[in-house]
Amino acid sequence: MLEILIQGLLLSGLYALIAVGFTLIFSVGRVLNLAYGSYIMIAGYVYFYFSQLLGLPPIVGLLLAGILGSCMGLLKYNLIVKPLKGDHIPVEISTLILAVILQSAIILYFGNSAKILLPIFQGVIHIGNATVTYNVLAATLVSWLILIVLFVFIRKTHVGRAMQAVSMDSKGASISGVNINKINMFTWGISGFLGAIAGVFFASYTQLSPSMWVAPLIIAIAIVIVGGIGSIIGTLVVAHIIGFMEIISVALISPQLRGVFTMLLVIIVLIIRPKGLFGREEL
Amino acid sequence: MMTFLKIDQLSAFYGKAKALHDISLSVKQGEIIAIVGANGAGKSTLLDSIMGLTKIEGDISLEGKSLIGKTTPEIVQSGVGYAPERFNLFPYMSVYNNLMVGAFTAREDITRNLEIVEKLFPRLKERTNQETHTQSGGERQMVSLGRALMSSPRLLLVDEPTIGLAPKICLEIAVVLRRLRDEFNTTIVITEQNANFAMTLAERLYVLESGSIKIEGLAKDLKNDPQLTEAYFGH
Repeated sequence: MLEILIQGLLLSGLYALIAVGFTLIFSVGRVLNLAYGSYIMIAGYVYFYFSQLLGLPPIVGLLLAGILGSCMGLLKYNLIVKPLKGDHIPVEISTLILAVILQSAIILYFGNSAKILLPIFQGVIHIGNATVTYNVLAATLVSWLILIVLFVFIRKTHVGRAMQAVSMDSKGASISGVNINKINMFTWGISGFLGAIAGVFFASYTQLSPSMWVAPLIIAIAIVIVGGIGSIIGTLVVAHIIGFMEIISVALISPQLRGVFTMLLVIIVLIIRPKGLFGREEL
Repeated sequence: MMTFLKIDQLSAFYGKAKALHDISLSVKQGEIIAIVGANGAGKSTLLDSIMGLTKIEGDISLEGKSLIGKTTPEIVQSGVGYAPERFNLFPYMSVYNNLMVGAFTAREDITRNLEIVEKLFPRLKERTNQETHTQSGGERQMVSLGRALMSSPRLLLVDEPTIGLAPKICLEIAVVLRRLRDEFNTTIVITEQNANFAMTLAERLYVLESGSIKIEGLAKDLKNDPQLTEAYFGH
């Protein structure tokens, strides 16, 4: 029981971190960024390259992955999203195509086989009869820290409030003096950074492979659909619902059913409450 | 008094449709003028155009400096505040946070501007933590005006300040706009369907019909103008 509680909390924290960057982009830019999973995958490889192949300190690898994630977000906003002027279907199709292209690029350079990412933090801790690696514990703590900082940032700073404002009424934000383009750029940059940090932890939680972008993308989509797209609190709560559901189904039923209940939940919520449990589209 | 806002042969377009035809008008500093017209005459388009929100031809200048080519936030920064007809508030943010977004370009004046807004609209101070989607139309109009004032505007554009509001609230809004001009020398352009309200508040009127200016003149002269009386006071 304690083990389920602990594992559930840890996985949920990671899921919340995975989903929050995705939520930000949808709220502010109204774009379903289907290439979001590829930030996660590429960040894992970037970390692998710098920290494991070149032997740089883990924190440097993590930061480099984050910076690259940010750059990818900014590039995608400027090269794809902005020219298409938020025309949803072309943006979504092209972001999905981009994810596939990036996967091929990774296969070309690193090969198709899965790689084990060494833990960023070594060691384990025993809590009751549950064994927790420092690595997963760190992932959860970092994810909580990032979510708290992000929450306070959005609620209490001028730029954060401007992000909220753009998500609720872009004309209203513009006539208040907010530069929508800059806010979008900032959001894409932050989202890429968060996705990349989540990616490194996710890769070290599972393993590194060129197709590893699919699972986190599905998790992110599931969390924002169930949570109500755009709500940070909703994201956090639903990340816990989904995280615990997975851990419970793995522990009590069968590991093969890991993602099944999540998908069932998504379908049920889509039918009963299409706007999600915390249903609204603003931050 | 010098010309503060000058609009010269302005045409505005929505896609290929021309919504305004060769509008020219000028507003002096500290003046209150009203653009009067029926629904669809182009009043909102005219204000949107000043804010850089439409595709236009012609020139718009503020204190002799052209606003053409400037983005909306740059126009706000150069001293134009806008309270649009549908308010465009941030529904799930508190009154306070709505006002704070309005202060995005004038952060050094926040304390002073917030004091002014709370003095003009004491009700907003009482409801500072209320989210605006739960507010009445009158309160939203106050938040909208307050948000525009947070950017320290020298020119305030107000689109249909009285639409859908109770007569008592209309009067309150009129008093506030007059005070803004009298105490802060703010230049004000309002649009109105309600010509009576426009006459009592504004010194000069422009009558807009199908995107063109049909009549212009001092409010006191137009009060007895048969053409205007027939068109706008007939009901």
